Amino acid sequence: MTTAASAAHLSPLPEQDGTAARARQVTKAYGAGETRVTALDAVDVDIERGRFTAIMGPSGSGKSTLMHCLAGLDTVSEGRIWIGDTEITGLRDKQLTKLRRDKIGFIFQAFNLLPTLNAVENITLPMDIAGRKPDQAWLQQVIDTVGLSDRLKHRPGQLSGGQQQRVAVARALAARPEIIFGDEPTGNLDSRSGAEVLGFLRRSVDELGQTIVMVTHDPVAAGHADRVLFLADGAIVDEMHNPTADSVLTRMRRFDGKRTS
Amino acid sequence: MLLKTSLRSFFAHKWRLVLSLLAVVLSVAFVAGTLVFYNTATSTFDKLFASTASDLAVSRAEDEIADGAPGRVPTIPVGTVAKVAAEPGVKAAIGQVMTSDATLVDPATNKVVGPTTGAPTLTGNWTDTPRNSVEITSGHAPQGADQLVLDADTAEKAHLGLGSKVRIITDANHDFTLSGIATFRTTNPGAALAFLDTATAQRVLLGTEAYTSVEVFGDGTRTNEQLKAAALADLGGDFQAKTAAEQKKENSDDVGSFLNFMKYAMLGFAVLAAGVGGFLIVNTFSMLVTQRTREIGLLRAIGGSRSQVNRSVLTEGLILGVLGSTLGIGAGLGLALGMIQLMKAVGMNLDASLEVTWTVPVVSYAVGVLVTLFAAFVPARRASRITPMAALLDHAAPVEPRANRIRTAVGSLVTAVGAVALVLAASSSGATGGLLIGLGVLATLVGAVVLGPLLVSGLLRLLGGALPALFGPAGRLAQRNVMRNPRRTGSTAAALMIGLAVVVGASVITSSMVSSATAQIEKSVGADYIVGGGRTPIPAAAAEAVERTPGVDHITRQKEVPAELTTPDGARTKTDLIAADPNFTRDFRLPVASGTAEGVFNGGLSVDQEFADAHHLKVGDPIAVAYGEGRTQTVPVAAVLATGNQLFDGSFFTGIGTVSTGLNGQLPGDSTLFAGASAGADEGAVLADLEKALESYPQLMVKDQAGYKDMIKSQVDQLLSMVYGLLGLTIVVAVLGVVNTLALSVIERTREIGLLRAIGLSRRQLRRVVRLESVVIALFGAVLGSALGLAWGVTARSVLADNGLNVLTVPTGTVVTVLVGSVVIGLFAALVPAFRAARMNVLAAIASD
Repeated sequence: MTTAASAAHLSPLPEQDGTAARARQVTKAYGAGETRVTALDAVDVDIERGRFTAIMGPSGSGKSTLMHCLAGLDTVSEGRIWIGDTEITGLRDKQLTKLRRDKIGFIFQAFNLLPTLNAVENITLPMDIAGRKPDQAWLQQVIDTVGLSDRLKHRPGQLSGGQQQRVAVARALAARPEIIFGDEPTGNLDSRSGAEVLGFLRRSVDELGQTIVMVTHDPVAAGHADRVLFLADGAIVDEMHNPTADSVLTRMRRFDGKRTS
Repeated sequence: MLLKTSLRSFFAHKWRLVLSLLAVVLSVAFVAGTLVFYNTATSTFDKLFASTASDLAVSRAEDEIADGAPGRVPTIPVGTVAKVAAEPGVKAAIGQVMTSDATLVDPATNKVVGPTTGAPTLTGNWTDTPRNSVEITSGHAPQGADQLVLDADTAEKAHLGLGSKVRIITDANHDFTLSGIATFRTTNPGAALAFLDTATAQRVLLGTEAYTSVEVFGDGTRTNEQLKAAALADLGGDFQAKTAAEQKKENSDDVGSFLNFMKYAMLGFAVLAAGVGGFLIVNTFSMLVTQRTREIGLLRAIGGSRSQVNRSVLTEGLILGVLGSTLGIGAGLGLALGMIQLMKAVGMNLDASLEVTWTVPVVSYAVGVLVTLFAAFVPARRASRITPMAALLDHAAPVEPRANRIRTAVGSLVTAVGAVALVLAASSSGATGGLLIGLGVLATLVGAVVLGPLLVSGLLRLLGGALPALFGPAGRLAQRNVMRNPRRTGSTAAALMIGLAVVVGASVITSSMVSSATAQIEKSVGADYIVGGGRTPIPAAAAEAVERTPGVDHITRQKEVPAELTTPDGARTKTDLIAADPNFTRDFRLPVASGTAEGVFNGGLSVDQEFADAHHLKVGDPIAVAYGEGRTQTVPVAAVLATGNQLFDGSFFTGIGTVSTGLNGQLPGDSTLFAGASAGADEGAVLADLEKALESYPQLMVKDQAGYKDMIKSQVDQLLSMVYGLLGLTIVVAVLGVVNTLALSVIERTREIGLLRAIGLSRRQLRRVVRLESVVIALFGAVLGSALGLAWGVTARSVLADNGLNVLTVPTGTVVTVLVGSVVIGLFAALVPAFRAARMNVLAAIASD
């Protein structure tokens, strides 16, 4: 993994096999002139395939913006982004929608599920939308993995917060996307439920080979990742491999100190 | 404080209230417009009558029975003028000839000049009175036997100028040359006026040297009442006199009854639309209250009382009602102007200055404010029940209405009562039937509205599978969304249901009317042709022309003779006797229950079964017939006719010979002619020949049986399209309701939409979801409406079976149109909400609270 600008941004190809998503010189700015605010400042990121990446940073560091741009939910001001070997910068809404549908899974902090659909309907929704039949064996495996077999016919309103997030995880996994983005997926959960959900994410990477990118401000959550990227003021300032909750916390403290100094 | 929160809240949600406001504005505009139009029309006529009435009009005393006979013009002797003029206090007494029984025709085109319906065509003598309604603006007054003056509006419409030929058709044709054009001094509501010189008017219009009235103008020394008393004392009982005030009142009453009918019909439909708008407002306020649950919880937590919360919602309703009514009154003035233009287009001129009385704002505000307050009542009560805990809950889930069981019970009960009433009504008739059907219609309507939400869930659960199967994931999402809040879906659909139920019900009745009439014609009419029309009797020459037409085997003359019948039980009945030739039995098959049809036209009289039962009559019983002016006769009952045929029910048939004896030979002209074709004649060719023979009588109309049926159908259709037109407003408001529900639910579901878009729902799929929801709601309303309308129509038809509606026709075409139309309505209503949903920014939607 390298955060340095390489010659890669000059040519869209070749695609390295080990990269699920890439960003090159991505800048995101709001407003213009005097009032211009730069949320992302020439960021280069490579997300490795089959690994669990956490993006950390204080509020306003641009971590959510980075995720939204990587996932094709937001547009960039400058720079280029690839999901797999598809460049998404410059895609029209229709193609972006199709890309999100077919290649990306999402887990949001809250309001992940449609209240009118039951658990299994929510899980298969992306495939429904795409008009694809879910792979039943795979679906069963995912459902078993997140432990929802006995809750499939329940509506979200009848599930606890932890169960709802597990349904969201299952939905993200069921379509076998190239990459799953989580936006504070455990932010609204108590620590036990949160640990449970993070455990599933970890297992899906280890056992199912899934690629996951998760934005979080919780060092414990980041501790489950393979790698943590630290963002500050719209730029990647550091990264850590095989982190633990403690090491992340330490790094964050130093980070706070640096900021206040 | 409260008012301030209400105002703030009202304006904070102004975009969500826009459609509610529009619904109030539309309904109130219709109410205000109708009232202003009515006032303006009434005042136009009042001004006209006030400006033209003489101080005293002396005419022949009314005869209660004989007046109103077609072609009858009561006259007074010429000498009356001098007698009245000699009275003290009289400045001028002018003999007037005026009749509405002449037809004006342009001989160049053979087209009728002047209005053919509504306003009258008045033909009379040109006089110079101190208060002429018209003045000659070009040419000169009529002089001599061939000159005529026409009013400017009529001349312009008929493209006639000085020197043009004008024909007056009475019993015979009289041709004139236009010598002058007269212009109204006030607004002419649409009557045509034609003037001849006095001698010619007497000769052509009255056939005798006489006047129809003496118009008296006082010199100011006596009141009109004094003039009246003096004139009557002098002239005796054969005369009557009407003061200016009495003339004005009489004229206004005539016009007023027509305008009143129009007013109440339109107000009825306006109030219906306002009621439908109420559903829309209920939905809006319910949604606003749900969305503000946390806010209201907070208000309660910091010490707001239940009644304060309740009042704050009601106050918002009040603001909506007042604002909507105010705008509605403004729009109503515009609408009134539009209606005046519309009336002008159909030949009724009204004052351009609108007449706004105090009733306009009072009634308008009452309708607008009451509807909104009433609609806000339930949401306000629901808001007041929100606990302070709601402020603390993270996601205040909409409280599921717990009253479902009560709702089911009440709804089922009311519907059952309605259904029973309808079933009972179907097997009864007359006043009982009418009462039962009224109850049944009301109860089934209320029942359907109350049960609506349950029916929505039931129906969608039952048929819901079809949606995902047909439309994939969009279908499933739409189905679930519609079912999410059955109460909202139910009331949105109910709004549409009401209008469509009336459409279908009215259409069942009218199509049954047409098919019943057609069946009755086929069953009872043997005549091949019918000649009628015009407001005057058929000229003798025209009847002869028909009789002479080759291929016509025979004709039957029919006359209408006003009479009063006195049955042996002493009861008196006023009616128009239908007097016809004995040939009548060749042209019609009378449903004779007892007696003979031949006897009726040879010295007897027929009564229908109902009349016979009511007065214990049987064949041979004598009936005393009074024709007025002292003429009486005794005629025996020759036949009792079975009821159930619109053509004959309530009619009394007799022979022309009989009536002629009774009237001392003073027979009125023919009102209708029937003709039979000779055996072997080409009926189409004969019809063409008849049309040619009657060419110079454009006021007359000749039809064969098929043409006659078409005419009935087109008359009924005209009635129906009026009902449809008035229902248009209700349906527009209901469609606004669908748009409103969709738009608000799109706003309400912002986060869901963001989520769906994030996980890959395309804009097109999203639009489809909204469209499907809309179509499902509209279709549901249409299905319920059609079912209700059919139930009402079928029942009403069977109640009216005894009144001649003996054939039931279900207008399949209309029902199919309603159903297909509702799909179109659904697609249309979804246009903007779907567009807005698809345009939502995904990120903003996810982040929204």
